[in-house]
This record gives sequence, C-alpha cells and structure tokens, in this order.
Amino acid sequence: MSDDHDHEHHHHLRESETYYAARTKALESLFREKGLIGTDTVDRVINFFEHEMGPFNGAKVVAKAWTDPAFKGRLLADANKAIAELGMRDGIEGENLKVVENTPGTHNVVCCTLCSCWPWPLLGLPPYWFKDPVFRARVVREPRGVLSDFGVTLPDESKIEIWDSSAQVRYFVIPERPAGTEGWDEEKLAALVSTEAMQGLGLATA
Amino acid sequence: MKVQHYLGGIENLGPVDVEKRVFVEPWEAQLFAVHTTMMGTGIWAWPDLRVLAESMNPLDYFKYRYYIKWLGGMCKFLVSRNYISEKELEAKTKYYLENPDAPQPNAGDNDVTGRVIEYFYTGANPYRDVAVNPVFKVGDTVRVKDMPPAVHTRLPGYLRNKTGVVETVYKGAYLYADNVPTDGICTAQPVYLVKFKTRDLWDDIPDKGDVLYNDCFEVYLEAV
Repeated sequence: MSDDHDHEHHHHLRESETYYAARTKALESLFREKGLIGTDTVDRVINFFEHEMGPFNGAKVVAKAWTDPAFKGRLLADANKAIAELGMRDGIEGENLKVVENTPGTHNVVCCTLCSCWPWPLLGLPPYWFKDPVFRARVVREPRGVLSDFGVTLPDESKIEIWDSSAQVRYFVIPERPAGTEGWDEEKLAALVSTEAMQGLGLATA
Repeated sequence: MKVQHYLGGIENLGPVDVEKRVFVEPWEAQLFAVHTTMMGTGIWAWPDLRVLAESMNPLDYFKYRYYIKWLGGMCKFLVSRNYISEKELEAKTKYYLENPDAPQPNAGDNDVTGRVIEYFYTGANPYRDVAVNPVFKVGDTVRVKDMPPAVHTRLPGYLRNKTGVVETVYKGAYLYADNVPTDGICTAQPVYLVKFKTRDLWDDIPDKGDVLYNDCFEVYLEAV
C-alpha cells in the first residue's frame, strides 16, 4: 500500500460515523477513569431531556395561556415568574425567557444565526433543523421561503417578526389557538402543540 | 472576517433540512452528555465551544454536522488544557474502533451526576444587578457599529452598519463571559432589544412590513 493510499484511508476513516462513535466512547471512558464523570451520568442526562426538560413543558405553558388570559398576561410580562406558577423550574439557557404571541396578522419566528440559542427549560434541546447553517442563513432574509420548507403558508397580509437570539434572552412563541377547540381541557390542547410551533416554524392545528 | 459571524442572509443555499430529531446518530447523545458534564463541573462553558467553532475553516464549518464540530472542539480543548492527552485519546479511540461493543470502564465519580442535573436547573445567569446608566432610551434610533473582527462576537454580521430603533432597554446589566477574548462584551453592560425593518437590512427583498429583533450589547451601538 502506498503512503498516499494509506493517508487517504486514514482520512476517510476519520470522517466516518464509526470513527466519531469510537472517539466519543474514548472520551467518556477517559472521563470515567479520571473520575470526571459518573458511571450513570450519560444515561441520566439523556433521560433528563426525555422526561424532565423538553417540549412537553412548553406545550403545557401554551395550553395554560390559551385557556387562562390572566396567566397569559403574566407570561408575556415575566415568563420566568409565570412558569414557576405551574411548578416549572427555569435554568440553563432559560435564565431570561421572553414569550411572544402569534395573533391574526402577526407571526413570530425564532432563530439564532450565530449558533443555537434555544429556550431549554421550555423546549429541551434544539432539533437538528434549528442548528443547520442553511436554516440560520435563510430564515432572516427569506422567512416565507423557510416556512414553506416546513409546510407553513401564512395569509398574504401577515407580517413576520423575527427574533434572532444572540445575547442573553431566549425566545418562545405562543402559537395561535386552532379553531374548533373551544372547551378542550389543557391536556388535550397541549397535544396539539409541536416544538416547531413554539418557535414559529409550525402552526397548531386541531 | 469570519463567515461563521455572517451566516444570516446568505443566498442560494437550497431547502432547509427539516430534520426534527435532536440527535441523528446514537453517539451524538453520548457526546452531548459528556459536554454537559464539562459544563456542570466547570471544565468549560458555551463561550469556549463557540470560540472553537468560529476558529474553524469556514468551509469545514458548513461541511460537518453540528455534533461532529462539537466532537472536534471538545477533543481539542481537553487536550490543550491537559485534561486528557492526545496519546491516550488516540489509543482509546483505536481500542473502541477495534472493539466497538466493549463496555465502558466500571469507574467514575457518581457525585458528578447530581451536580450536572442541578446545573441544568441553576444555569449560569449572565444578569448582573448593578447600577448602570444606559446611553440609549426607548425610541432612539441607533446604528450597529462595524466592530473590528474578534475571536468571538455576539454581533450578527448582517446587522453591521444597519440602523434600528430601541424597543426595550433591559433592566440592569448583562455579561457575556469573562474567560474568552471578545469584542467588548466581557464587562457587564446594558443590553437593548433593537427593532430593524428587514427591508432596511436587505433592500432587494419585497417589502412585506416584516421586522427583525436582536438583543444588542451597548458596546455594539452608536447614536445616529
């Protein structure tokens, strides 16, 4: 085998999922040997974002806001304080939350063109699309084109308000409540609210 | 100029990949957990990761998936700070390549787990309740400065030299970080919510009346 071939093989291996997986295992294993991580830390962290800090929190907040106008008022005024009323804790990437509301004629869209700022206490971790450079590049200049990639078409007269997070505030959107949901309880309403809708890249539909 | 600072507004990129999963490969979840362990135990913080992402070759930045960039950044950081050595990292990687089903060593400090989970709830609030005298007030027209390039910035490139109106003067002051080189945001200062008309940002787009909000550190703004 020539050196060139060898080099190419090495390069190819280093850009494979197999390599990334082995490298990641190596990192955890070194952390374990050095006492920098626990034997259960990885499982606990993954479990935490599946069951404790995720979009199910945000959906509960939206359902409450849809059914309780006074709560919605407090939420728009001071989101960190209002979610505590629901027994929800804020924390990492949500120390300073700001909630905005979609109304007929005004549609809010959230992005982070510099990295991946996202309101973790309400939505858990950002999905792939939010971190993708193509989304981040396009959404600020051509939000309607990006919405169309998500299958969302707004009425012609709608104005869009874009929130590009880059300092210390994390934004969250209350989508419009779908028609025909009068009298629904909060649990049933929460099931209508997708992660995408809570950043303005989707609509809640019944 | 770093392309990573100037993503907003790039054209001709094609459709967005509407992938709704957080982790698209199983190793990404494991890597993420190691990363949060580093955050929860004070080994590093967001700015360290962002500095590394911004120092990448910009073409690689577009080429590699999000967590692939994290993996590279984490390894580089841990070696440079002597948490691990390049040699042991290479040896362990080789071991797991040859033995992909080998278990993790039965060692570690289980106190770390509780600390990491508690960190998720305490976070690291950059708010500082200090007396400041904001230079601008609500309704002021402001121009975004074209700051000299820095190792790290929180100023999106497409806003440079653009004019907007102060919508909110946040109470108190905010600090970005004090351990990485930035363009002036390492000291607590007022932050403003600034409202821009998107037609003022790009004069060749249709005028739909859209607006864009961005939170600007005071050092990034000047009076018009």
